[in-house]
Amino acid sequence: MNVNATFFAELIAFCIFIFITYRYLWPSFSNILEARQEEISEGLEAASQSQRKLEEANEESRKLVEDAKSEASTLIAQAGSRGDQIVDEAKNQAVEEQKKIKDSAEADIEQNITKAKEGLREEVAALVIAGAEQILNKEVDESSNKDIVDALIKEL
Amino acid sequence: MAEKNLTENLTPTADYISHHLTNLTYGWCEKSQTWGFAYHQQNIFKETSCKVSEMGFWSFHLDTIFMSTFLGLIFFGFFGLVLVGAKKGVPGKVQNFAEFVFEFISGAVKSNFHGTSKIIGPLAFASCVWILSWNLMDLLPVEMTNFFGANLVNSEGASYVGYFKVLPTADVNAPLALALVVMFFVTYYTIANHGLGGFLKEFINPIELVGYFSKHVALALRLYGNLFAGEMIFILIGIMFGQFLLSFGQTLWFIPGLMMNLVWALFHILIIALQAYIFMMLTIAYINLACAKH
Repeated sequence: MNVNATFFAELIAFCIFIFITYRYLWPSFSNILEARQEEISEGLEAASQSQRKLEEANEESRKLVEDAKSEASTLIAQAGSRGDQIVDEAKNQAVEEQKKIKDSAEADIEQNITKAKEGLREEVAALVIAGAEQILNKEVDESSNKDIVDALIKEL
Repeated sequence: MAEKNLTENLTPTADYISHHLTNLTYGWCEKSQTWGFAYHQQNIFKETSCKVSEMGFWSFHLDTIFMSTFLGLIFFGFFGLVLVGAKKGVPGKVQNFAEFVFEFISGAVKSNFHGTSKIIGPLAFASCVWILSWNLMDLLPVEMTNFFGANLVNSEGASYVGYFKVLPTADVNAPLALALVVMFFVTYYTIANHGLGGFLKEFINPIELVGYFSKHVALALRLYGNLFAGEMIFILIGIMFGQFLLSFGQTLWFIPGLMMNLVWALFHILIIALQAYIFMMLTIAYINLACAKH
């Protein structure tokens, strides 16, 4: 352990190394790390912002889907009721039509019946007159007996 | 001094130890009135040159100066090179390591120093990195380092020097120089923050003056003592197993020696880092005290 002039050499060397650190190493390290810190904090900020945006977009899309769903369900319900309505209308129409057809058919039948009745009556009248002629063997004045015949016919 | 006795006592063990603990010295020789290398025990030029212990204050430990500067250039150069190729984005592995070291030291400064100072960060960084680079030399095998010294020969081809102490921390000059710089900054900041009056007022009680100097001397000696002792234990392990080898003549005796060296080296890694860290932390603490309001 002998202290000698080596001391001065070490002193100078240490001062030089401190100066190098002070002048070059320390500031550049600080700069690099500060820049990185800033970059990282910016990145984190951006990430949280985009996270927020993503959440908003998710919310929006969820809302859209919900709206669409409710709209679709109302549409389906509307369509269903409309369908029912159409079916009802068709039914009603059919029933009316049926009724109409039936009515006209009935009227036809009625007419035919009356026509037939009329024909039959006339035929019966003719037959009655012919029978009476044969019974009387003489020509009956058709016109004078008409009242009687008509009364007969009516009784049939 | 103890060293002188060791040098004159030429038993192999003492010779071995003193050889390992002597610096490669170049200085003014009073006896021959010349500048020159201090000679080795086996040196043949005893008449024309001095022993290490005979040299006065004006001598230089060339190994300490060379190794400390060389290691400083390597380590600070490493950080410089990293910074030259540094990217602002995602760092590579090497840059990451350098940034980790920087952040570790600047974190220690930030958490322990509460004043405003631009120099304390660089001071802590320079002392920590430089001391760590020195201390790492303690892990080199003790026999390897003297190899450099033994191969420094003079023009006649004789081993002229023979010494090479690779560990700058085990030379008290280096830690003392660091401590003096710390003391300078402590004094500077005390005067800057409290005025010359405030600085002098600390020494109303003269015992404070002793404390003022011993604080900084202790800072140096703590570092020096720990590393010197560590080196000494490596040397003693070396001697122990050298003796075993000579006594028993069995080559396998190097295995326990290797094991013991390994165990001590593993433990010593802790001391190496810890002493550099302690020096840095105390530097920060002393300067923090100098800046603090009383």
